[in-house]
Amino acid sequence: MNRKTKEIFIKYIFFLFALVAIIVLAMIVFSLFREGMPIFKQVSVKDFLFGMEWYPTFDPPYFGIFPLIVGSFIVTIFATLIAVPLGVLAAIYISEIAPRSIKEVLKSVIELLAGLPSVVLGFFGMVVIAPVLQNVFDLPTGLNIVNASMILALMAIPTISSISEDALYAVPQEFKEASYALGATKFETIAKVIFPAALSGVTTAVMLGMARAIGETMVVLMVAGGAAAIPESIFDSVRPMPASIAAEMGETPYRSLHYHALFATGMVLFFLTLTFNLIADYVSNKFKQTGSATL
Amino acid sequence: MDADIIIRLKNVNFFYGENQALTNINMNFRKNKVTALIGPSGCGKSTLLRLLNRMNELIDATRVEGDIIFEDKNIYAPDVDPVEIRRKIGMVFQKPNPFPKTIYNNISYGPKLTGVPVDDMNALVEQSLKQAVLWDEVKDILNKSAMNLSGGQQQRLCIARALAMKPDILLMDEPTSALDPISTAKIEELIEELKKNYTIIIVTHNMQQAARISDETAFFYLGNLIEYSKTEKIFTKPDVKQTEDYITGRFG
Repeated sequence: MNRKTKEIFIKYIFFLFALVAIIVLAMIVFSLFREGMPIFKQVSVKDFLFGMEWYPTFDPPYFGIFPLIVGSFIVTIFATLIAVPLGVLAAIYISEIAPRSIKEVLKSVIELLAGLPSVVLGFFGMVVIAPVLQNVFDLPTGLNIVNASMILALMAIPTISSISEDALYAVPQEFKEASYALGATKFETIAKVIFPAALSGVTTAVMLGMARAIGETMVVLMVAGGAAAIPESIFDSVRPMPASIAAEMGETPYRSLHYHALFATGMVLFFLTLTFNLIADYVSNKFKQTGSATL
Repeated sequence: MDADIIIRLKNVNFFYGENQALTNINMNFRKNKVTALIGPSGCGKSTLLRLLNRMNELIDATRVEGDIIFEDKNIYAPDVDPVEIRRKIGMVFQKPNPFPKTIYNNISYGPKLTGVPVDDMNALVEQSLKQAVLWDEVKDILNKSAMNLSGGQQQRLCIARALAMKPDILLMDEPTSALDPISTAKIEELIEELKKNYTIIIVTHNMQQAARISDETAFFYLGNLIEYSKTEKIFTKPDVKQTEDYITGRFG
C-alpha cells in the first residue's frame, strides 16, 4: 500500500466512525416515530398535546399529556431560576476573581457534582430534602415541584457553570486591559465588559443546562411526586414527561395504545430538547464574529 | 523645580517576581511634548510605560521601588487610588482593542464610569472622535459595532476613547505596530496634532517613527536608561556608543 492509498484509507475509516453516530441517531429517531405515530390514529394531535386528562389505563383511556408537559416545564423553569444565578456567579468567581488555589478546588468540586449519578441525587432529595420540606411547610408530601427543582438545579449547575466559565475565559485580555486603563474597577470591568462579551456563551450554557434538566428522568421520577395534574402551588406534586415514560413503560403491553402514547410523549420530549439545543447553537453562532453591537 | 515637567521618576526599580526589569531609572517627562521610548525587545520600555498608569500591578507578583511623582504626589503612595491615576493618564495599546460594543458606547464607556454626569454625551463623543480624526468616517454608523471598523480606524477609536476621559497624559504602547503604512501615517499626524493639548509618551520599535514624531527620546537597554535627550541629538550625535550602535542598526 503506497502512502497515498493509505491516506485515503485512513480518511474513510474516520468518516465511517463519524457516520456511526449519525446512523445510530437516525435509527433512534426513526423507531421513536414508528412507535409513537400510531397513537395519532386514535387520538388527535390536539387532544394528545392539550388534553387535560392522563388516565392511560382507564376504560376508556384518556391520553392527554398537557399536565405532563406543564410538569416538565414547571420543574425546568424553577430549576433554571435557581441554577442560573448560582452557576453563572460561580463561573464569574472562578474565572475572574478567585485566587489560583481556590479556583482549582472549586473547579474540581463542580466537576465532581457533574459526575454524581442522578439516582444518588434523587435519593438525596427523597430522604433528606423531602422530610425537611414536609415538616417545615406542613405538607402531605415532600415529593413536589420545589424538591424536584432544587435537585434538577444541582444537576444543571455544573453544565451552566463550566460552559459559562469557558465563555468568560475566552474574553480577550485586551478588553480587560482597555477597561482598566479607562479607570474601571474590577467589578465594573466584569459587569460592563467581560460579562457582556461572554453573554452569547453564557446563554448557550443556560440553554444546555435547561436541556439537561428537561430530559432528566431519574430525579423527577424519584422526587417530583408523580401526580399527573396541573399543579396549583409550588408544593404540589407533578409528573414530568420523562418520569411518566420511565414509570409506565414497564407496565404497558407491547404495541398497545398506552405504549404508543408513551413513545409519542418521547417525541414531544425529543422536540423540546432539540429546540433548546438549536437555540443554544443559534445564540452561540450569532454573536461569534462581530461581537454584539447592542450591548 | 521645572514647571513644565509633568511626571518625574526617582530611583525607580521594578521587578517581575525575582527578575529585575528596570534598574534605577531617573527621568523627567515634559509637558505637551512627545517623548519616545526606544530600545530592543525586553529592554523595559513597555514596562516603564505601564508603570506610569499602574497597569503593571494587574500582573501578579510585581514590585515597584522608588517614586513616580505626578501632581506632586507619588502615584504609588498607599493612599492613591489607581483608578484615579488611570483616569488622568490614558493608554492606547499595541493591538487595537475596541470593546465589542457600538462605536458610540466605546467612547462613552469611560466618561460614564466616572460617576460625574456628562451634560451632553453626544457632544463629548463627537468632540473625541473629531480629535482622533475619525468623526467623518463614522458619524453615520455610531450605533454599529466597533468591530466592523478597519484596524487603523479601530486604533483611532481607541485613541478617541482615551481622549474622552480628558486625560493629562496619553501613553501609547507601539500604537502602530499592528497597522499598515497608511493607517500609521494617519496616527502619526494625529499625534502631531494632539501634542498641543496632551503630553504623549510613546513606545516604539520603529526608529524612523521616533525620529519623525517625538521631541525627546529615551533609549533603554537591559532595563537601564542609557540616554535621554532631545530626539535630534539622539539621532544625530548621541553621547553614548550603545545608543549610536542601536540607532544605526548595529544591534537590536
